[in-house]
Amino acid sequence: MAASVRHLLKPWTPSLCLVRWSRYNSYYLDPDPSKDARVPDSELSPEQKELQELKTVRRIKAALSSDTSSPFSDPLMSKFINMMMQDGSKILARGIMTQPREEIECSPHSVFQQALENCKPIIGLASVQKGGKSYQVPVPLTDNRRGFLAMKWMITECRDNKHRRTHMYEKLSQELLAAFANEGNVVKRKHDLHRMAEANRAYAHYRWW
Amino acid sequence: MSGSVVQEKVAKLLSRQNGKPVLRPIKPLALKNEVASRSLKKGEATCVTEMSLVMACWKLNDFNNSVCSKEVSAFYTCVEKAQNKAKGKQGTQGRLLPKEANTLLKRFPNLSSEI
Repeated sequence: MAASVRHLLKPWTPSLCLVRWSRYNSYYLDPDPSKDARVPDSELSPEQKELQELKTVRRIKAALSSDTSSPFSDPLMSKFINMMMQDGSKILARGIMTQPREEIECSPHSVFQQALENCKPIIGLASVQKGGKSYQVPVPLTDNRRGFLAMKWMITECRDNKHRRTHMYEKLSQELLAAFANEGNVVKRKHDLHRMAEANRAYAHYRWW
Repeated sequence: MSGSVVQEKVAKLLSRQNGKPVLRPIKPLALKNEVASRSLKKGEATCVTEMSLVMACWKLNDFNNSVCSKEVSAFYTCVEKAQNKAKGKQGTQGRLLPKEANTLLKRFPNLSSEI
């Protein structure tokens, strides 16, 4: 009975055509603005060929105004700039982000990536209620959550714990260099989280997922 | 066929002809157009052994992640496997999930009153 009734729950297909939206159904595919997207058919595996065919048939979401086809675009950098942006002033946020690149001499791109990698926590804490009391339980985190926490800690640390008269780009460059060398306040915060998780390791069995 | 039998039984339970009625309902005796979303088997904490290994390594090496990279990568592989397992287990065959049942009932509800 379930099998015959389940066919009523077919995935959504479009009836109206949306022009531009911020929330799309999962039927819509993400746009791929990179110039290297067109690879000759011989070099593609059968799964990739299927994906290419799907792209010709299915609807695609409208590209954001921050999508570029340039090779210098970095999704991690874009995410960080969006997180740092306040009141929608993307130009200011981008300007702040490009200035530490001038301060950090050798390969700022890889320094940025390595610094954020060093700030990512491995185990997080989740609040679980058991027997009327809530415990902090050590929990594995998803990759997205870890990256988000690293970037959030970096930004809050630069905003709050520095001297009032230093510019944001100076604070950022100092913190990025310190995180690259596994020192500094952000890495300390990560270690504090790990220490708390280690202290609460007895409660690890309170998790049910 | 069995619907009328049920209706007769309910009518008998509500009637006052044979002394006091057995049922004195407050709300109408009709099913809701919703299913309770339970059927959660009691899960366990996944990857606890890997986590304890990582923590032991941390205690020995003062939370140095570069030294404990082997344990950390083992932990990550365990977490990925657990996530894939959890995703794959959701569509249980033979039985409608409560979420699916609710979407279907919303589209095709039991009408209890005339519109």
